[in-house]
Amino acid sequence: MLILRIWNYLRGYAIIVVKGIKIERFINLAVVNNIYLWDIEKIDYATIKAKISSSDFFKLKSIVKKTDSNIQIIEKCGMPFKIKKMKKRKWFVVGLAILLISIYILSSYIWMIEIYGLKNIDEQVVIENLSHAGLKIGMRKKKINKRKVENKLLIRMPELTWVGVEMKGTKAFIKVVEKGPEPQLINKDEPCDIVASKNGVIEKILVLNGDGMVKDGDTVKKNQLLVSGTIIRNNLPERYVHSMAEVHARTWYEDVEEIPYEQIEYKKSGRVHKTYSLEIVSRKFERDKKIPYEDYNKIEKEIYIFNFGSYVFPIKLIITQYEELVSTTKIISEEEAKTICEERLNAKIKLQIPEDAVILNQRIEYFPNEKSLIGKIYVEVLEDIGVKVRIK
Amino acid sequence: MNSKSYKVKEIISDALELPKDITLDLPKVIILGTDSVSIENHKGIISYKDDQIRINTSCGILTITGSKLVIKSIIQEEIIITGKIVNIEYR
Repeated sequence: MLILRIWNYLRGYAIIVVKGIKIERFINLAVVNNIYLWDIEKIDYATIKAKISSSDFFKLKSIVKKTDSNIQIIEKCGMPFKIKKMKKRKWFVVGLAILLISIYILSSYIWMIEIYGLKNIDEQVVIENLSHAGLKIGMRKKKINKRKVENKLLIRMPELTWVGVEMKGTKAFIKVVEKGPEPQLINKDEPCDIVASKNGVIEKILVLNGDGMVKDGDTVKKNQLLVSGTIIRNNLPERYVHSMAEVHARTWYEDVEEIPYEQIEYKKSGRVHKTYSLEIVSRKFERDKKIPYEDYNKIEKEIYIFNFGSYVFPIKLIITQYEELVSTTKIISEEEAKTICEERLNAKIKLQIPEDAVILNQRIEYFPNEKSLIGKIYVEVLEDIGVKVRIK
Repeated sequence: MNSKSYKVKEIISDALELPKDITLDLPKVIILGTDSVSIENHKGIISYKDDQIRINTSCGILTITGSKLVIKSIIQEEIIITGKIVNIEYR
């Protein structure tokens, strides 16, 4: 019967209300005359509600006369009536068609590039290079040759070892593998010297190959020759070797930090100002932005309005949130300043010292003056300062 | 029902194992759970109320009682009734 229903929907049907005493006879006559009624419901003693196809409706006339009943149409349903309604709402239909077409057209372009596997390289750099290699936001999917883009990007960016381009919906997924650290440039059979990478005092030098030029306790300067790969002996011609040595030296690091006693603190006042702007393709539509606060935290959120899984359309809603900050000046004591200073100095100096160095000594000196406290940190470490240099 | 021709028809259809609903024009009532009944070979509706539908068949009047009974579809060969069905009897 489902097929019949669909057929009736396509041809159009009406919901009618029949009033009369001989309601059963009405139904029976309809059946006998091949008029299809369905979903017949009894409303009250002498009233039924039923559905009837629009072509059958006019056949009811004789039955109505015979049974002395009364018919009323309460609703017209089905495709023909829908189409009639649509004709009245012409512009709505046109708009709908335009929307569907524009979605279809837009979905054949790339609107988003996602890059995976980046460790050290900036995403923006890869996107920039991609645009030169032939993959840009706003390009047609058909025009993009994946293998070509991969090859071109690899040529443009020698720091990558592998690139995979994949397209799903309106997104392009770029998978990237970065090159690992370069292996040591100097081969074992190439002659080389060892020089100091920084100033220091030699604590211990252990020469495995080559001629040591310095002794324990010597002060060395940066780039000073520590181990020579050129071996000169009496009565023998010059010989060149690949020098190897462990050169542990004491080195120093220092840093300065100034902490004013007057500290300006920023606190959120709790007041938030939000602005909305719309970005279509790459054109921004925004209302004039007046930020009512002097100091603020700015938080930007981008939302793709039309985001259906891998189908993303280039209409972005940008919500910018400004959180008002209230500044307060606070005067701190010297002791407090010292603790802050120490914390900052320790954090700062950690960035300078190489990871494998051993810290031997650490000293912080404070020089207080009227307005601020100046702290100086000195760190003495033990580290390997030998660097291999090829002999020319 | 008791006419000669009916009995002959019955004997023949028994002997040949023909379905009786076709040869003898008997109603075929299919009850699906408690919410749907379909009657094939009916002879028209006698009365239709919200809680009771009486249908004429070749072997008597079939009375269906229940609540919120709706005639889902009616054609010459078949009636489909849905709703909460409580009782079906020949009366």
